[in-house]
Amino acid sequence: MSTTNGDGRTERLLEVKDLTVGFPTRDGIVRGVDHLTLNVGSHERLGVVGESGSGKSVMGLAILGMVLPPGRIMGGSVRWRGEDVLDPAVANRVRGREIAMIFQDPMVSLNPLKTVGSQLRELLQRRVGLQGSEIRQRSLELLDMVGIANASERLRAYAYELSGGMRQRVMIATALACEPTLVIADEPTTGLDVTIQDQILTLLHDLSTELGMSVLMITHDLGVVAQFCDRVQVMYAGRIVERAPINEMFTDPQHPYSLGLLHSVPRVDRDDGELTGIPGEPLDRAQFPPGCAFEPRCNEAQDGCRDAPPPLLKIAERRWVACYNRPAEGSP
Amino acid sequence: MLRWLARRIIAAALVVFVVTSLVFVVTHVFTDPATVSLPLEATEEHRADRRAALGIDRPLAVQYWDFVSGLVVGDLGESFWQDQPASKLVLERLPATLKLVAGATAVTVLLAAPMGMLAAWWERRFADHAVLGFSMASISAPPFWIGYLLIIVFAVQLGWVPTFGSRGFVSLILPSFAIGLASAGRLAQMTRRGIVEELRKPYAVTALSRGFSRSYTIVHHTFRNVASGFVTMTGWELTRMFTGYTVVIEVVFAWPGVGRLAIHAIENRDLILVQAAVVVLATLVVVTNLLVDIARRMIDPRVELA
Repeated sequence: MSTTNGDGRTERLLEVKDLTVGFPTRDGIVRGVDHLTLNVGSHERLGVVGESGSGKSVMGLAILGMVLPPGRIMGGSVRWRGEDVLDPAVANRVRGREIAMIFQDPMVSLNPLKTVGSQLRELLQRRVGLQGSEIRQRSLELLDMVGIANASERLRAYAYELSGGMRQRVMIATALACEPTLVIADEPTTGLDVTIQDQILTLLHDLSTELGMSVLMITHDLGVVAQFCDRVQVMYAGRIVERAPINEMFTDPQHPYSLGLLHSVPRVDRDDGELTGIPGEPLDRAQFPPGCAFEPRCNEAQDGCRDAPPPLLKIAERRWVACYNRPAEGSP
Repeated sequence: MLRWLARRIIAAALVVFVVTSLVFVVTHVFTDPATVSLPLEATEEHRADRRAALGIDRPLAVQYWDFVSGLVVGDLGESFWQDQPASKLVLERLPATLKLVAGATAVTVLLAAPMGMLAAWWERRFADHAVLGFSMASISAPPFWIGYLLIIVFAVQLGWVPTFGSRGFVSLILPSFAIGLASAGRLAQMTRRGIVEELRKPYAVTALSRGFSRSYTIVHHTFRNVASGFVTMTGWELTRMFTGYTVVIEVVFAWPGVGRLAIHAIENRDLILVQAAVVVLATLVVVTNLLVDIARRMIDPRVELA
């Protein structure tokens, strides 16, 4: 659960409102992220879970005001401590320094032609402003923090000389270099061995507690969410369909898509019958239905679901669902 | 590294040997220097005399041995047009050609790298289109035409530089541009494309997400990753310069280099001298490739030590 600050409330750090990212295609503009709304408080670990193609990675970069061309941000706002991150001047200050990203594939996310040391050095020199021997000292400290032995030797290593887990640790060290307040981790354990996945998650968890960082964990893996997060948002076709505290998401999922996701994960702790997938294919994003994006695959779909996308409504304390079949709090 | 270098040098020497042997085959088997050097109406007697004088009445194997053993000590035969050792004639002209190629390479690299980076930085904006326009124009125009254009504008009209000849640094400027502009055009486009591609790669996105500016990321991250391709392409451009552009441009600018010597040798039907010029230029091409390999090895530690 989130810890609270002095006056008993968590401080709101990141506020994303109605963020929409569009990609022009032959069939018109596809919205990779669609009216995304999300808040991250201080000392909070928020998970965003969704299948591949649901817009998670686009979201991570868009929060930093970055969209790979030809995509572009079509609307909405991203506020960091009240400041507009979509303003380039603010983004320039916030990127790396206050919000740092960790990417999926550490093999290609580190510059292949620069040593670990030089990648840390440029950050410490240019983004933090350290000089001379401080740089080396801090570099060693950072590698030490992420659990890399022989740190002084590793400073001279190139990414290709390191194992996958080691690379991800270096990646985390570069993210921590500027002592960010929020780390956005985009599938940080995908592609790593299961034991290494666990080590990296534990490391991130411990570091976030120790350094008081918030983490926005983007993943397709509910196991990662269960192990790591305080709160979770489920994303489908660029939209948030459900938002809940972690325990409630697993004990009492509300959105039909969340239900499907949970049933498609094998459980070893209890034997609750058959493993079922979600029927149908992930949405072809060019053929956006005017109504609920999940409607074609939903077993609870009704006629009304096809008219307009359902809004994300509060159904109980800290519970939000975007589904016409879940009555909002206070409605009859 | 040293063993790798030794192997590469041996391989390069082998290539030079094979290439020069091919040159020998062309000049001695497919034709003979004596016949070529004499007028069409020369009598058979004349030809026999000339053959004996050049030693090409002997068996091919003996001639080849002569040629190869001569190569080792730098003897490329006698030029019968100039009545001097061919190697001496060529080596005298070599510094001028090397200067010209160095000038053209400087023009190429100093124009292509910044233009490519600028075009990538301003992708799909005015500067990008301007660089593309320059590239298209410089690539499509033949170097000799660019040469004449430069002479007309800068030497004749403006009088800033001499029209021809090799008088110090100023006279190097126009021929260097005449050769280098097309190479710069090709290389700028290659650089731009490389950087634009690299900018979409995760490591570049990571650098941008850490708050590094687009220009810093281009110069310090992506350019390094296209540098290997840049050096390789520069090597190809150098090859083209040695084997083609310098020949044409040396004639246009009356530049006293190996290329112009080769043209004169051809005009005077001096196959021995042509052969010497070709051997020297081919050697330069091989040396260029060797240097490119070494440079790539230094840029990218992952290049195989093969």
